[in-house]
Amino acid sequence: MKLKKYFVRALHRLQKGPGYTYKELLVWYCDNTNTHGPKRIIKEGPKKKFVWFFLTLLFASLVFWQWGILINTYLSYNVTSSLSIGFKTMKFPAVTVCNANPFKYSEVKPLLKELDKLIEAALERILQPTQGDSILPLPLNSSDNISQTLDLRLWNQIPLVLIDEHDKDHPVIVDIFETNQTGPGNQTAAPPDTSNTTSEGKKYKLAVKLCNHEGSNDCIYRNFTSAAQAVTEWYILQSTSILSKVPLQERIRMGYQAEDMILACLYGAEPCNYKNFTQIYHPDHGNCYIFNWGMDEEALNSSNPGAEFGLKLILDISQQDYIPYLSSAAGARLMLHQQKSFPFLKDQGIYAMAGTETSIGVLVDELERMGYPYSDCTMNGSDVPVKNLYSEYNTSYSIQACLRSCFQNRMIEICGCGHYMFPLPEGVNYCNNEDNPGWAYCYSSLRSSIGHRQFCIDSCKETCNDTQYKMTISMADWPSEASEDWIFHILSYERDMSTNVTLDRNGIIKLNIYFQEYNYRTISESAATTIVWLLSSLGGQFGFWMGGSVLCLIEFGEIIIDSLWITIINVISWCKGLKQKRAQARYPDAPPTVSELVEAHTNLGFQHEDCRAPPSGETCREEALPPEPGTPPPNYDSLRVQPLDVLDVDSDTE
Amino acid sequence: AAMAPRKKITAKIKKTLPVTGPQAPTLSELMKWYCLNTNTHGCRRIVVSRGRLRRFIWILLTLSAVGLILWQCAELLMNYYSASVSVTVQFQKLPFPAVTICNINPYKYSAMKDYLSELDRETKNALETFYGFSEGKSKVRRSVGDGNSTGSELFQQIPLLKFEDFSKTVIDLHSGQKRKMEGKVFHKDSSIVNSGDSNDIIGFQLCDANNSSECALYTFSSGVNAIQEWYKLHYMNIMAQIPLETKEKLSYSADDLILTCFFDGLSCDKRHFTRFHHPLHGNCYTFNSGENETILSTSTGGSEYGLHVVLYIDEADYNPFLVTSTGAKIMVHDQNEYPFIEDIGTEIETAAATSIGMHFTRSRKLSKPYSDCTETGADIPVENLYNKSYSLQICLHSCFQKAMVESCGCAQYAQPLPAGAEYCNYKKNPNWMYCYYRLHEKFVKEQLGCQQICKDACSFKEWALTTSIAQWPSAVSEDWMLRVLSWDKGQKINKKLNKTDLANLMVFYKDLNERFISENPANTLVILLSNFGGQLGLWMSCSVVCVIEIVEVFFIDSLSIVMRRRWQKAKKWWNDRKRKQGGKPSQESELERQGHENPVCIDEDLPTFNTALRLPLPQESPLPRTPPPNYSTLRLENSSAFTEQLPDTLDVGQH
Repeated sequence: MKLKKYFVRALHRLQKGPGYTYKELLVWYCDNTNTHGPKRIIKEGPKKKFVWFFLTLLFASLVFWQWGILINTYLSYNVTSSLSIGFKTMKFPAVTVCNANPFKYSEVKPLLKELDKLIEAALERILQPTQGDSILPLPLNSSDNISQTLDLRLWNQIPLVLIDEHDKDHPVIVDIFETNQTGPGNQTAAPPDTSNTTSEGKKYKLAVKLCNHEGSNDCIYRNFTSAAQAVTEWYILQSTSILSKVPLQERIRMGYQAEDMILACLYGAEPCNYKNFTQIYHPDHGNCYIFNWGMDEEALNSSNPGAEFGLKLILDISQQDYIPYLSSAAGARLMLHQQKSFPFLKDQGIYAMAGTETSIGVLVDELERMGYPYSDCTMNGSDVPVKNLYSEYNTSYSIQACLRSCFQNRMIEICGCGHYMFPLPEGVNYCNNEDNPGWAYCYSSLRSSIGHRQFCIDSCKETCNDTQYKMTISMADWPSEASEDWIFHILSYERDMSTNVTLDRNGIIKLNIYFQEYNYRTISESAATTIVWLLSSLGGQFGFWMGGSVLCLIEFGEIIIDSLWITIINVISWCKGLKQKRAQARYPDAPPTVSELVEAHTNLGFQHEDCRAPPSGETCREEALPPEPGTPPPNYDSLRVQPLDVLDVDSDTE
Repeated sequence: AAMAPRKKITAKIKKTLPVTGPQAPTLSELMKWYCLNTNTHGCRRIVVSRGRLRRFIWILLTLSAVGLILWQCAELLMNYYSASVSVTVQFQKLPFPAVTICNINPYKYSAMKDYLSELDRETKNALETFYGFSEGKSKVRRSVGDGNSTGSELFQQIPLLKFEDFSKTVIDLHSGQKRKMEGKVFHKDSSIVNSGDSNDIIGFQLCDANNSSECALYTFSSGVNAIQEWYKLHYMNIMAQIPLETKEKLSYSADDLILTCFFDGLSCDKRHFTRFHHPLHGNCYTFNSGENETILSTSTGGSEYGLHVVLYIDEADYNPFLVTSTGAKIMVHDQNEYPFIEDIGTEIETAAATSIGMHFTRSRKLSKPYSDCTETGADIPVENLYNKSYSLQICLHSCFQKAMVESCGCAQYAQPLPAGAEYCNYKKNPNWMYCYYRLHEKFVKEQLGCQQICKDACSFKEWALTTSIAQWPSAVSEDWMLRVLSWDKGQKINKKLNKTDLANLMVFYKDLNERFISENPANTLVILLSNFGGQLGLWMSCSVVCVIEIVEVFFIDSLSIVMRRRWQKAKKWWNDRKRKQGGKPSQESELERQGHENPVCIDEDLPTFNTALRLPLPQESPLPRTPPPNYSTLRLENSSAFTEQLPDTLDVGQH
């Protein structure tokens, strides 16, 4: 019913035409708005009116301009960082200790025997003293019995070659165990041409020959300035191929066992032993042991700074049992990392030297960032398009894991087998010389490809919460000469139950890991511009220039609606007028329409005024009074109570 | 007749540009008008409120609101130039820094023999005289040595001295005689001086050559320091006379120093290194110096992908007095940065693998007015002597060198030469040592003003290093490693290298995260204005419009009212006097006109809808058909204000 009534009234309204003009509406608005400028416009004299009009316009445009800036600032999602430094009880970092050497040489010797023989023979040939600047240091007679005992098949899979650079433009490639000299090969991965070097430059270079298929001509020579590097590189490639065929259990067995490696452990005042360490197999370093990884039990807290309350370890790396050609540096490799994260020792690990006590003061450097849209980082790696191969260790996402997974995935895609250094996805095997003869070639080209690296960098995202352990490392000789005897004796006794000293300076390492006096430095981000900030800034701007608020905006909107209403009504009445004109053409004496009548009635006061000649001076005060003293106030009212009443009365009279 | 056109003109002006006066005739009226019509809150309450207490409270509140606004806005202004820090971490391909590697020993001792034989003999002599220490070899040489060569004059002039107690009696190294010493005593090691057994104090004396009574005495608690310092002094003297080309030849070549090189999984050689002659460290080699416009970058972190070099440190060829430690010094720096390797280098041990993990941080400060730093160093009145981009170190060294050239007339050996100057040597500048030491003293005590002139650079790059050491080569790999490296080194030398002659160095990025710490302005003008607006709005609902109103009312209108009062009084007084004199009743019309000009009275415009509203309603309207305006109380008051105002102005006019 109500709705019907409302529509009826609206219809009446439409028939009658607007009750007021645009000008009245505007004047009313200016007089009654809460914004500060418009009132002035109508209240002042003509000049000031103009000035105020101009000012109001200026301020309004200023407000809009600055609002634009503010909204832009808000949408740029800036952050502010806050830094806090101090000491608090924190989770002690997970400590991974490894031996720099992955396997006990005594255990892997059967596997690597052939390889060692090969390299020894090769070195023998390379290093034999040459006579002056003679052409070739190698005796060309391959008839000696060395080559018979050697496994040349293994050698020929990835051979080492000598490059004779006496003639810069036409280097001669000499295979070490063979007599045939091949012509200039397709040298890649070499430093730029050595044409401008001085004559005293080296004449021979060692290179690793990598072929796409065995015996094929699609070969590259990885060229090294140093023979030492070439040998190491070659040995790594060959041993990788051999070891990748060994099952994991066997590899773990060949590595260092916890009880052999970790001789003593003390956390704060509490004793701990090798059983408190979690074993993990790391392809680079064999068996690694992680203290306080937090996988099974709660992570330990440390609530005191200083070495007294930290972790103290004594390790034995038994340097005599190192694989001679695989790792030339001797020591323990250790790394501090977050609980439940995988230790990437090659990246973040540090060395501890044998025969020393290494003290490591730790400061936890945390960076807490806000995720999207503030910065492009990932909270848990779920939105990264790379399959995380390290999830088999139940470790959390990290950028290193992503990059390695990315590499491994590419390797499997391109070479058809996985690299031994990285975890395998299901159903794929590690590369080895027998099954994948071209793998080293493939791997080498993939590794040095810039495009591939960029691909991985682009697809991996860093984590939002980045924790780093800043270490202050200091070293001292340990054990001291005076204490050496008894320390070795006790440790040997405890480990091997023998009275003989089985340890020496070359194998023993002491580690102290503790929190520094200030153990954390946290940089946390917070949004610089929140919606509250935006609103208060918008309000501030509007208030500053025009004294306005949201209500003023609503007022303004109302006025616009009203003027639209007026327009609609005007248009309708104009249309009607057009119709009537046509009608008038037929009946020239048409009666006044309803709207005309109403207008005449309601706008009585104004008609009077219009009729009058403009009075001047004070006389106007008295005479300007309309005949009806109570001139209606602007009929317009947002509430529309008054005008409707009037209308009702009118319609009743009709 | 002459008056008429002028009157016409003024009348015309008045007509076209009517000078509308203030909104009210008197100050109190104006205030009332202002309070009723202003857009600010509070003021209106003062006028509208009934009762003195209430009015007083409102006055108090309004005033305190004004005070608060002023205070808060002042705070806002003062905090305008504050900076907020943002830290961004970006994972990306990182440019590899330049790595400068030096042997700790600057020049091959065997090659330097010709230059240093005099000095070494003198040093050994001193060792024997003071400490009874003698090498078998040197003893023989000394007994044979002729002692009186050209160089020894110098050593006689600045000899090592041994002090006996505090009596300032010294024993001269040469003459062996005792003499009294005058002059200031500088102690390089101050702690030992007062500790009883001062009979071992050894040092040397530097005198002003022009005025021999001006002497400075340098003493050291330990002979080790004294002899090294003394040796260095003479050494610098000798080196200053050798031309650069010769010095470069005397030092190590790239082939000498770098045995193997490996970067980012690829082999590299000496062409990747740039030679750079450091005055104190001889030939240094910078990897990736960006010399040929290409800066290498790493796209993978980890030790395998960094720089991996094996250095050959020829320990046997070390200068025994100049350097007492063995190894290499390295520094990681930006390509544009000068490596102050003597100040901030990292030392590398021999027979060990040193692994240096880097973490890259870039910082950027805001320059003036936020903080006192310099972007390019162009605004600093010290000429940059180094061919590198500005840094605080460069500025300090350049500043010292400048002061040195100014006051001593020659340049110090360890720093580059300014234009037109040459290095100090004893022959040309006999006084330079004394001068240098005095100047250095001043420099350290910040009396030269260098520390005040030089400013921080606004942006800098930093590589945080984590250094760890492992034994290298390991016991089992030592044999083959040394053999192969010997082959690498010489290929025909049968001599096997010693592992203490080798140092293994790995420099790599721990991760490819670049941390960028930057300062940003905490405030912009937009934010300042909106804060102002917030404050104004919160306390008084005020805006710029109100400020303009205040200016209008309190300055323009009130002033014009006051002026008008003055004018009227003056006129009245004048008329009174005139009347007393002549008695012409002309003032009335004058005043009347003024009243007429009062803007309040003027209503030349056609009565519009709006003016009609402003007109007073007749009180005894028989038919109050129209309801009172249902919205604003303001307008009612407004019109009533005018009704009150009207008779007032008329009153004035009639008087």
